Amino acid sequence: MISYLVFAGTIAGFYALLSLGLVTAWGQGGLVNLGLVGFVGLGAYTSALLSGAAFPIWIDWIAAAVVSAAVGLALCFVVRNLRGDYLAIVTLGFAEILRLAETNEKWLTKGSDGISGIVAPLKSDLGESFPFFYLIMTWTLVGIVAFLLGCLLRSPFGRALRAVRDDEQIAAVAGKSVLRLKLQAFGIGAALSGLAGALYAHFTSYIAPDVFVVQLTIYIFLTVTVGGQTRLAGAVVGSIALVALLEASRFIAAAIPGLDAVQIASLREFAIAVTLILVMQLRPEGAFRMTNERSGLSASRAASESCYGKRAIVDDAT
Amino acid sequence: MSNLDRRTFLQAGLGVGGLMLSSSLSRSWAQQGDPIKIGLIIPLTGATSQFGATMAQAAKIAETEINAVGGVRGRPIQIVVEDDQSNPEAAVRAAHKLIDVDKVVAIGGSYASAVTSAIAPLCWDGKTVLLTSSGADSITKLPHDGYIFRTSPTVTLQGTSVGKYAVELGAKKMFFLGPQTPFAQSYIDIISGIFKATGGTGNGLVYEDKKSSYRSEVDQALKESPDVIVLGGYVPDTSVVLKDLYRAGYSGKKIGFSFGINDALTKAVPAEVSEGAYSLVPSAAENSEAYKRLISKMKRPSLDSYSCQVYDHVVLTSLALARATSGQANGTAVRDNLRAISEGEGKRLDDAAEALKAVVVGGQVNYDGPSGPLEFADNGDVKGVFFRYEQVEGGKLVVRKVG
Repeated sequence: MISYLVFAGTIAGFYALLSLGLVTAWGQGGLVNLGLVGFVGLGAYTSALLSGAAFPIWIDWIAAAVVSAAVGLALCFVVRNLRGDYLAIVTLGFAEILRLAETNEKWLTKGSDGISGIVAPLKSDLGESFPFFYLIMTWTLVGIVAFLLGCLLRSPFGRALRAVRDDEQIAAVAGKSVLRLKLQAFGIGAALSGLAGALYAHFTSYIAPDVFVVQLTIYIFLTVTVGGQTRLAGAVVGSIALVALLEASRFIAAAIPGLDAVQIASLREFAIAVTLILVMQLRPEGAFRMTNERSGLSASRAASESCYGKRAIVDDAT
Repeated sequence: MSNLDRRTFLQAGLGVGGLMLSSSLSRSWAQQGDPIKIGLIIPLTGATSQFGATMAQAAKIAETEINAVGGVRGRPIQIVVEDDQSNPEAAVRAAHKLIDVDKVVAIGGSYASAVTSAIAPLCWDGKTVLLTSSGADSITKLPHDGYIFRTSPTVTLQGTSVGKYAVELGAKKMFFLGPQTPFAQSYIDIISGIFKATGGTGNGLVYEDKKSSYRSEVDQALKESPDVIVLGGYVPDTSVVLKDLYRAGYSGKKIGFSFGINDALTKAVPAEVSEGAYSLVPSAAENSEAYKRLISKMKRPSLDSYSCQVYDHVVLTSLALARATSGQANGTAVRDNLRAISEGEGKRLDDAAEALKAVVVGGQVNYDGPSGPLEFADNGDVKGVFFRYEQVEGGKLVVRKVG
């Protein structure tokens, strides 16, 4: 049981990294990246291939993040004029292109056979305690990333990014470089996805193109929606909630009498959809709401404004 | 409802989590006399799920049969089914649950090759036997320490059989159409090789699955005017290819594999579209009693080979554990005793209950199941498989040859 919880906790850590990236790009930057899983795959393959070529693991992981970021920047630059649904469709397609490339470039990726036997750091030295080590390492990384992103998003960069999200034209008029801010936000999101992919590859020791399908993207969007799409804390709490839901539904669905295997499996998928609908109905802003920032110029204004702190949330949901 | 504050939300979440934890903890305190658990990871939802339902039913029948004669070592067996969602990532999570929480002695089922490759390392690390119905040759080349047993013939063997049968049917020019899978290119190479060796020609095309039309692929195939087309896909794409072949007026022979041309397919397309298509089915020996008994218990006219294999996964695990009279009932005991009850000089038995009774009294048993004679090479690959060659006739599959 303990080893199972440790494993589930590690998976939650990967999801948290992905969610932090999505909060930065989508929640804070307004860039809908439905191609998230493509960057996860890119990171996983980069790291797996480099480690296969006997590079040390820390280089593999940095390379995974850098390659994903670079490809993300290139994609974001190419589609810089697209917003909202259009960007979502293009990124979705891009992830599919990456998956097809992984499937067909057999000389590099071994095709749909996948790459097995990816070495994990210190696994042979640590033996039994390896899963604990990986859990702690993953969550330490999540902590570091969340702290750094927190600093970044509180800085003038974060404010400018939110301005771009809320209204590009106003941000541009105010002298902000809209394109550069978008590229940075998208790049950070892609880099974190790549890093999470690399961590996943070395943890499970096997990757194949089939691992990186759109289901994972949907999970991460669910995570971020449940947690609160603009909040880093929401990403972390949402990931834990999602993994708890995915895993708890196994035990709960199996305990319902009179269902056959297919019905139990379908019920689990159904539970996830119902959760999303319930969250959107009962608490569309997620567990952690968007916070409003005081400008620091007119501190008295906040109290007199009756809809202060509410209006903005409603508007932002669109 | 936005006054549902964060604290309530978190408390509710923790409450649900705690409840789940306590209920699963109490389960893991298993004692002697509690059921011996056998895990199944099968596709119940998603793209590869066409056999999931019958796999689960077949396993349930095996469970009932074993428990009806007293179970294994005085303990009943219990099947724990998990869905792989047709996705290796989900399958890894399911496998961790089965190995760490349920402490299963073996995991059976595992159908898609990517799923099997993904969960295999967990199984040999966790000293749990993995019985698989996947075909990719790469699986048994993994460093599995004897923990993997494959009941499905490998891709190489299936490809060779299809190629030889096509030649036997008098074909000279072969064209292969199949989706991008670990085995697509090997099929083309193997079958083309067989045709070239007998003076014919062979070529092929690998397509992307999940397309709604294969018109251009079919046109490309027909340009070479083949007299046999080998269909390497699964049911969803094969049914589309067959329809496009029918529209294009192709009148030559069509041969597919049992994962593509089967009862699900004949129900999915009009009878004239599938008419005459051959299917290669890994099978038990001709007129296998075990197979007939299983389909009558499932109240079905026929059953796919994969569900038969899952039935055998449960039976093999139970028999192996029953033979290991001393020591713990765990994966290593299953691994070390599995060959002793499925092959060798022992008495050939094809009934799970009879075989179990014989094993319990110390008899030498060679169990042959509905999926075949179940003999394993050193690397875990199944040996001596029979194939049933079936042909669609008026929307139904009719056996043409067993060999």
